[in-house]
Amino acid sequence: MIRLLPYLLYLLLIAMHEVIWRDVTGLFFVALNLPAMIVAMVATYKSQTAAAWFGFLAGVVISASEPSLMGWHGILLAALGLAVYHVREKLNLESIYSKVLLIVGAVLFHNIFSGVINGTDRFFYTLWTFCLPSTAFTSVVAWIFFLFKERSVTAEKLKSVF
Amino acid sequence: MSQITSLFPRDWRNLHFTLIVFFSLLLIINVPRLNQFVSQTVVKTLYFPFFQLKNLFVEMGTISTENNLLRQKLAEANARISILQEAERENERMRSILGFEPPAGYSLLPTKVISVSYGGNRPVAAVINKGAHDSVSINQAVVNQQGLVGRIKEVMGDMSVVQLLTDPANRVAARISDTREMGIVKYRTGFGLMLDNFPVQGTIREGDQIVSSGLGGIYVAGLLIGQVEGVIRQPDEPFCEIELRPAALFSSVEEVFVLRSVNE
Repeated sequence: MIRLLPYLLYLLLIAMHEVIWRDVTGLFFVALNLPAMIVAMVATYKSQTAAAWFGFLAGVVISASEPSLMGWHGILLAALGLAVYHVREKLNLESIYSKVLLIVGAVLFHNIFSGVINGTDRFFYTLWTFCLPSTAFTSVVAWIFFLFKERSVTAEKLKSVF
Repeated sequence: MSQITSLFPRDWRNLHFTLIVFFSLLLIINVPRLNQFVSQTVVKTLYFPFFQLKNLFVEMGTISTENNLLRQKLAEANARISILQEAERENERMRSILGFEPPAGYSLLPTKVISVSYGGNRPVAAVINKGAHDSVSINQAVVNQQGLVGRIKEVMGDMSVVQLLTDPANRVAARISDTREMGIVKYRTGFGLMLDNFPVQGTIREGDQIVSSGLGGIYVAGLLIGQVEGVIRQPDEPFCEIELRPAALFSSVEEVFVLRSVNE
């Protein structure tokens, strides 16, 4: 049960983002794709079973306001988790940049297929105005996260700079 | 049986994936009430606390804005109330002035007090906004609707200085309104307004009204100065000490009248 606690917290984080942070974390009209980022990160560090289940549950959580799309979003994020896991396994990622590149791919994948699931009629317009800016923004946030996670940036280093 | 087991690979991992696909398909085909149930469960357990939190923040923001607005309105209302109260007080003063008649042969020149100078803790002189250009001259009596206030001591073009009765240098020839017995009203520091030179044999009681006698040529006869507040008869003294309560409230004079003879 304790092993499940972090995943529950991630789900809470996603719910909190959907309810409170979405407007706050948005940069002008560019939204942060936190669910895809968290699923990709879980897949980067955890097992494929965990990545798949967490992806599925994250999909269910983000589409709670639209019950008819729950299954699609669930399977999309589960597939995303699995895909990220297998890419990680095949490429044996070491550097932060390769991980960020993986996140870029994952978020772009999710943004594009979310658009397809939600039934976007102007695909290329959505790609340029939403998918790509959102991917770039989310990737920058992920990069900053990896800098701290991989201890490339620490409190001591920051103190020494200032 | 073997057909059934072949559907589920031995590998637990694949069972997990099969379950995920199964649940996803259940949700995709939208089994009656299942999606609704899952959606409600997720909203109630995960979303609801954050909805409440968000509402709290929004409400706090609204309350804060509303509070600032109400404070501003309150300040405006207070300012308006002060202005209205001042207008009400002025209205009351003006109403009481309306019924005020000058003595025969005199006219009233309405003026406003523009500053008051103090001697110790009491006002002793006041500057009014009428002067020589309005035919104000030295020694004219100054009154308000309550009674005698003082006399003109100094005159400039557009203003004059009034020596109030509270100035110890100011003396008024006075008499008791009923008995017509006379004395001199002056202000004695530490004692207040006194009626001097009144013999111990004289008839005087608390509450008697003291008016100007007209002797001395400065103050017109019959102007109310005050009321007797206390009479002290010292043994072996030819005169009593009579304390007066002034009719005019010197600390709050605002509108006063200069008494001008109609012949001037």
